Amino acid sequence: MIEFQNLKKVYTSGGQQVAALNGINLTINKGEIFGVIGFSGAGKSSLIRCVNWLEQPTSGRVIVDGYDLTALSAKEIREVKRNIGMVFQHFNLLNSKTVFANVAMPLILAKVPKEEMKKRVNELLEFVGLSDKANNYPDQLSGGQKQRIGIARALATKPSILLCDEATSALDPQTTSSILELLKKINREYNITILIITHEMAVIREICDRVAVIEAGKIIEEGTVFNVFSSPKTETARNFVSSVMNDQIPDSIKEIVEKNEGLQKIFRINFIGNSAGQPLLSQLAKKFDIHINVLFGNITELQGTPFGNLIVEFQGAESEINRALMFISQEKVTVKEVKAHAS
Amino acid sequence: MLVNSEQIIEALIETIQMVAFSLLFSAVLGLPLGILLVITRKGHLLENLPVFNVSNGIINIFRSVPFIILMVAIIPVTRLIVGTSIGTAAAVVPLVFYAGPYIARLIENSLLEVDPGVLEAAQAMGATPAQIIFKFLIPEALSSLVLAFTIATIGLVGASAMAGAVGGGGLGDLAITYGYQRFDTMVMLITVGILVVMVQGLQTFGNILSKRIRRR
Repeated sequence: MIEFQNLKKVYTSGGQQVAALNGINLTINKGEIFGVIGFSGAGKSSLIRCVNWLEQPTSGRVIVDGYDLTALSAKEIREVKRNIGMVFQHFNLLNSKTVFANVAMPLILAKVPKEEMKKRVNELLEFVGLSDKANNYPDQLSGGQKQRIGIARALATKPSILLCDEATSALDPQTTSSILELLKKINREYNITILIITHEMAVIREICDRVAVIEAGKIIEEGTVFNVFSSPKTETARNFVSSVMNDQIPDSIKEIVEKNEGLQKIFRINFIGNSAGQPLLSQLAKKFDIHINVLFGNITELQGTPFGNLIVEFQGAESEINRALMFISQEKVTVKEVKAHAS
Repeated sequence: MLVNSEQIIEALIETIQMVAFSLLFSAVLGLPLGILLVITRKGHLLENLPVFNVSNGIINIFRSVPFIILMVAIIPVTRLIVGTSIGTAAAVVPLVFYAGPYIARLIENSLLEVDPGVLEAAQAMGATPAQIIFKFLIPEALSSLVLAFTIATIGLVGASAMAGAVGGGGLGDLAITYGYQRFDTMVMLITVGILVVMVQGLQTFGNILSKRIRRR
């Protein structure tokens, strides 16, 4: 478990004070995959680096598995760090050492006996699927393979927490999903708490249980991935969500709609879970005297639950449209009138 | 020719001795100093600006004095350490004062090339400062450190020849006394030839060793 309590980090650069973290309160539960998303400079990097003391906060507390880091000595913090693995964007492997030696490094530092160390390293290489590369050097590996080695190294001392600092940002989409799969497997098999910081909403959608949106050193929105994706509350969260879930009416369609002035009304209908499987629109068309024009639609899966998003135009008498809306409101869907040019 | 082959071989041995001993002592001086220059600088492992500024300043002072002046200026120190200011052993003292700070700078450069991310990973693993220096910083810079020492050794070959001018012995002494002052072109050509071969040999050896460490 990781707990941030009123965490602040202020940098002084060129006589000017810049607050990277401006009072963060956040709890990451044991065994969950938690994502922190934000633009560059939002403070997410400072936040994750406070967990393993690569950066020291100016004020506030960081509590890791019950230990208040601000109250520990340098030596005690080094001990706590053995319980925290970290995976980096640029892998940060030693180029002068073999893959085996890289993975062994944390065990050597912890003075683990040689036989036990060898056994553990081979086990880890097996787990990440790179046993055959043990004697290769990092520069002989692809980006995805390097990150697998980085992950194996981070897991060497059997930590309870894994920090991922933009772990997939330097990888291509295909490699990204294989690394995310691996992280999921780690979380499942070892019940390791994973804290991920990223600027890619796709990463959050892919593996996180909960997500926090950070902006200007503050958490501006927090919740389950499903809730944040299906109903983002802040502008920034909406922007991130729309970066992976296209939910806007395409421009060309917008133009056509805008030309057809008249009785038309435009609604956004969101389907969640089972309701995504019902033939709602065809029921409406049969029951009521209205025409339905679908302007936009898609279905995304969020944490295993289907989430549908439809933008439709209802044409017909106002009374008929209202009756139809009454009918919809009885179903497990949300409906909202929107202007053609707005969201 | 005014000298025989025995004299040339003797001079060669003196040069090798001067270079070897001064390399050894200046490495002992320069290596910790170079590490210090890296880890005490702003934002590094053991940031300590007073220590950094003082060592940085001292190194600059020694590096700005021309070797021939340095040699004369520290004669009292040389006498104190070796008991005399003439001869091969005496030449080692100014050579160390010359090459030590030089090696510190070269090492500083090599160590600064190490990816800071690697050191960050080490810190994240809970490595102590000593572990970071000896298990991460130096191994990662090793190939470049070998090249730095190659440059320093070649610098010492040149400087040791200069030390010959003030009675340090060695090939430089031979070249000055016989080749230059007594106009024996043959001696001059032979000594310079030997120095050229030494430098070529050292550089080639350093390159091969560094390449082997880098494996590419």
